[in-house]
Amino acid sequence: MNLKSANRSIKRWPGWLVLALATFVLLAVGIAADNGPQTQQDRIDAISKRIACPTCQGESVYVSRASSAESIRNEIARQVGTGQLNDDEIVAYLEDSFGGDVLLVPRSTGLDALVWALPVAVAVAAIAGLTMAFRRWRSQSLLVATDDDEAIVADLRKEVP
Amino acid sequence: MSEQSMRRPVRAVALGVGAVLIAFLVVLAVTHSGAKESAESNLLGKPAPVVEAELLGGGKFNLSYRKGSWVILNFFNSTCVPCVREHPELVKFAEAESAQDEPAEIYTVINDDSDTAVRTFFDKNGGDWPKVKDDNGTIAVAFGVAKVPETWIVDPNGFVRMRITGEISTDFLNETMSNFRLQASGVG
Repeated sequence: MNLKSANRSIKRWPGWLVLALATFVLLAVGIAADNGPQTQQDRIDAISKRIACPTCQGESVYVSRASSAESIRNEIARQVGTGQLNDDEIVAYLEDSFGGDVLLVPRSTGLDALVWALPVAVAVAAIAGLTMAFRRWRSQSLLVATDDDEAIVADLRKEVP
Repeated sequence: MSEQSMRRPVRAVALGVGAVLIAFLVVLAVTHSGAKESAESNLLGKPAPVVEAELLGGGKFNLSYRKGSWVILNFFNSTCVPCVREHPELVKFAEAESAQDEPAEIYTVINDDSDTAVRTFFDKNGGDWPKVKDDNGTIAVAFGVAKVPETWIVDPNGFVRMRITGEISTDFLNETMSNFRLQASGVG
């Protein structure tokens, strides 16, 4: 198969379908891949990075040296040490105490879901809009020769020996 | 293609962008501002968190054993200016409560402070109620306390009834407790 025919086959629907499928599979594998923390300290660090220091601006509990952050780190360490709750449950416990503002990564439910959904919706709308616009512009840019144009070309051809 | 038909997608895109902006403004308007002065908490109306800790000067404190009494937890630090300012109000409230048939139990929860500093402060300024040590901040985290002073009221059934952030006043506490007692007796 030469390059031209390969390009042509990619441009056809099955090519795009394979590409979309591959993207989906890679994303699924990426999301499902078990690269979670192994040691207790890794778990403590991972959870601390998800929690905002309640008395700081934009700092995680992991980074902050504030006393409130230290208390939260201690509590995370204690909870991890007891081994009764998983990471999400510990985060939920802290969210229950301090409220949703303590989450550095917004939830994917309720009003917070807009944070995830809006950029995707805007991107899809923008791509769709651009595609439509480009198609229109392309069709407009196609010049159609008028009778006068053809007459001029015919005259010129006659002049050429 | 006519100029009018060309304008249609532009209008649609403009309308879409406008709609997104309006939605964004609505979200900003209805979303909680995150103000820390708010006395909101997910714990309100729920059973109080488990609190088991040492008392300053010896002894154990277990919040669940205090069921049957109104409990007031005051998160405190001797270097915090609002804590120092509200302290006389808390002392007055404690005096007023002692005249009640079933006085509320007041506890100071020591927040990120040394035992010596707390002892010195109370020796100088009064307040003979128990002081609960919270060395690892476990109690503060359980109640979601990030800044002091904060005052929490737990009812005799062990449910969290009120969270007060910032300075409290004797009048406010007296009125609040009076209302709670009326509600509990079925009058309010």
